Amino acid sequence: MQSEPDEGERPEKLIHRLVAKLRHHAFWDSLLIFGPPVGAAIYIIALLFGAAWLGQIPMLVSAALVLVLGCLAVVLRYRPSAPSVSAAAQLLDRQAAAKDHFLTLATVEPADWPASFLSRLRRETSGFGHRVELKRDFPYRLKSSAYWSFGLSLLAAVLISFLLPLTASVARPGALQDRLRTLGQEIALKPGLKGLGEDLLALAAKLDEAKIPREEKQAQAQELKKEIEEQQKKEEQKDNRDLLGQAASALEGVDQQQAGGQERKDQQKGGGGVQSDVRQQGQGKSEQSQGGSGDSKGDSSAQLSTELQQGKTTQGNPKEPGPEKNQQPGDAKQGNEPDPSRSGKEQNKEQMGKTEGGSKDGAGKEKASEEPPPQGVSPAERFYKGGEGKEGVKNARYVTVQLPEEIAADGKGESRATKETKGSRARTQVPVSNVPLPAHVPNAPSEKQQVPIEYRGMIR
Amino acid sequence: MGKGEVMEPEQFREIFRRLETEVQKVIVGHDDLIRKVLIAFFAGGHVLLEGVPGLGKTLLVKSLSRALGMSFKRIQFTPDLMPSDIVGTEVLTDANGRREFQFKQGPIFAHVVLADEINRATPKTQSAVLEAMEEKQVTVFGESHILASPFIVLATQNPIELEGTYPLPEAQLDRFFFKLLVAPPAPAELREILKRTTGTETDDATKVLPDDDSETVNAMKYLLRQVMIAPPIEDYVVRLVHATQAEAQNGGPAQTSVKQYIRFGSSPRGAQSIILGAKGNALAEGRVHVSYEDVEKIILPALRHRLILNFQAEAENISADQVLGDIIKRVPRN
Repeated sequence: MQSEPDEGERPEKLIHRLVAKLRHHAFWDSLLIFGPPVGAAIYIIALLFGAAWLGQIPMLVSAALVLVLGCLAVVLRYRPSAPSVSAAAQLLDRQAAAKDHFLTLATVEPADWPASFLSRLRRETSGFGHRVELKRDFPYRLKSSAYWSFGLSLLAAVLISFLLPLTASVARPGALQDRLRTLGQEIALKPGLKGLGEDLLALAAKLDEAKIPREEKQAQAQELKKEIEEQQKKEEQKDNRDLLGQAASALEGVDQQQAGGQERKDQQKGGGGVQSDVRQQGQGKSEQSQGGSGDSKGDSSAQLSTELQQGKTTQGNPKEPGPEKNQQPGDAKQGNEPDPSRSGKEQNKEQMGKTEGGSKDGAGKEKASEEPPPQGVSPAERFYKGGEGKEGVKNARYVTVQLPEEIAADGKGESRATKETKGSRARTQVPVSNVPLPAHVPNAPSEKQQVPIEYRGMIR
Repeated sequence: MGKGEVMEPEQFREIFRRLETEVQKVIVGHDDLIRKVLIAFFAGGHVLLEGVPGLGKTLLVKSLSRALGMSFKRIQFTPDLMPSDIVGTEVLTDANGRREFQFKQGPIFAHVVLADEINRATPKTQSAVLEAMEEKQVTVFGESHILASPFIVLATQNPIELEGTYPLPEAQLDRFFFKLLVAPPAPAELREILKRTTGTETDDATKVLPDDDSETVNAMKYLLRQVMIAPPIEDYVVRLVHATQAEAQNGGPAQTSVKQYIRFGSSPRGAQSIILGAKGNALAEGRVHVSYEDVEKIILPALRHRLILNFQAEAENISADQVLGDIIKRVPRN
């Protein structure tokens, strides 16, 4: 009878080595699947923090949460995929063509079987064990899921880092100011940095002012950033340096926000989006009324204020009796609200006539649609607070109103008149809504209402 | 071999191999059949051989008994065969001037019994044999008589000429360890058969074991039961047998074919037969542990007579082997 194999070459040891190796593989598989998304998520959180979308504590909490979730996912995926002893033994059997020697040896209860059989089995299995080399026969291979995970995470991170500066100024315009204020207050408390802190607070206040042009805000932010960076270089204390670094990155965010806002404004101007068109139309109209042409629609604001003073509601009541609606000036109705009963040709003709006849009016509109709004001029009268305007509008409230859906849907952003005159006029854009208030205007109305019938003419 | 002495697996394998060789001298081909009959013998089971007449079923059994050195009896089952013709009866004898009833043993009292065309006898007679198979004893006039040990019944039945036959009830079929199908010989085997049987010299099986060496046979039987089986392989057998049960198939691995064709699945005896048969196969191959391959080699003979197929299977000419093949394919090893 052959002797028992040495402790060093016991097949049980080989099985346990393989189990450890395969568990290691399973762990790496899980890590490589969930690691990249966790990394990307942390990167995105850092980006949001840099762009001042997230404060320090939310950033730390969300980063910690992502890490915890990532660890949990790794563990949850690893546990079922980690091979058992019998699975590893079966792999060895398959590799060594051992006819379940490893499996039997790994799983039988030694006390239940004759010792002579066990030692014989161990001896035979040991012979098969020499056919297996773990490093060669069970190498670690990256799974396709790891490649996918890495690729998708990278894509997400790249997309977010490109999109974030574009959206930074839209979604939370006030966050940067808040951050600047916080940082300003913190910096002002530091000895020798009080001036910088106050400058930051002043900039934050300036950013809230809608009247100040973007270029000015951007220039001031850049200037302050330079100052802070210079101060940061001079600073000896690490805490102060870090604080100044944070302020510099927040100012970078301000710079991007202002630049992004300007860019978007330019795009809207060129592309003829509804919002920019409406604003430009309003400006055009104001020119027209200055010109004092015969067309009475330029007087819309005055008419609206008069109506408001008379206590008329701006919300259209469909059950309201007809005479009120009919009280509107006939020329305004004719000029602005196309009558569906009239033929398209007639309407077209009328439009053409209007364009040709009122050259000043037409020029004004064209100019308005192409040129940017003048910087530094006083805002439209309706932006005044109650009692501020020339006309002395008091207690006026503003809502965003929309034309009836049928008109909007019919024209896909353009009015019927625009559609009909498309062939003759290159850029005749009539808005389908009135002016939405800029994002920085306080108490901006959050809800939209359909424009009452009696006011549709004025908006046109 | 001394009493209580444990046999070595190598010894088992050697005897087994010699027995196979001796029977193969007489029976051409059917190597797998011979091995399975020997496995059933050492596992303590009985075998039902099914095949058309003239394929050497009777010769196989005779040769086996000769090689084993065991007593052999053949019972030709006919419709008028009575249970007493098999188990024996009390006869009135005159001994020393005294007349008394004495039990006269029937042909069942042999180590190897060939029940030829068992399906031709009436159910009453069949049940007498089947009771003896299960209990390893017979009772005549209230007195129990122990049968010889080792004891094996090799029953044959003809799949054709079913007129005037009494098909074995399912409960009695379950008592057979294996059901083996005797296939017609291949052309090369037939040529060899002709060469061996039509010449002047004919081979005959020689004894491998001494006459009535029940100790060696029992030691071999004991050794077979000591063969190791890994729990995952036992689980596999359990899953296989469970998969044959139509009522247990709620989304199980073999749901389609089992639900479609099986009326009743295998009993626990089927699982016992698979494991003992697999152990015998492992020892015959020189191993002291069962492998998945051993199990898969044994499933068909161990389960084919234990599945009760429904009318649809009969109508579509689906055999138990086809359904089992589907089950083996669908039930995963782990």
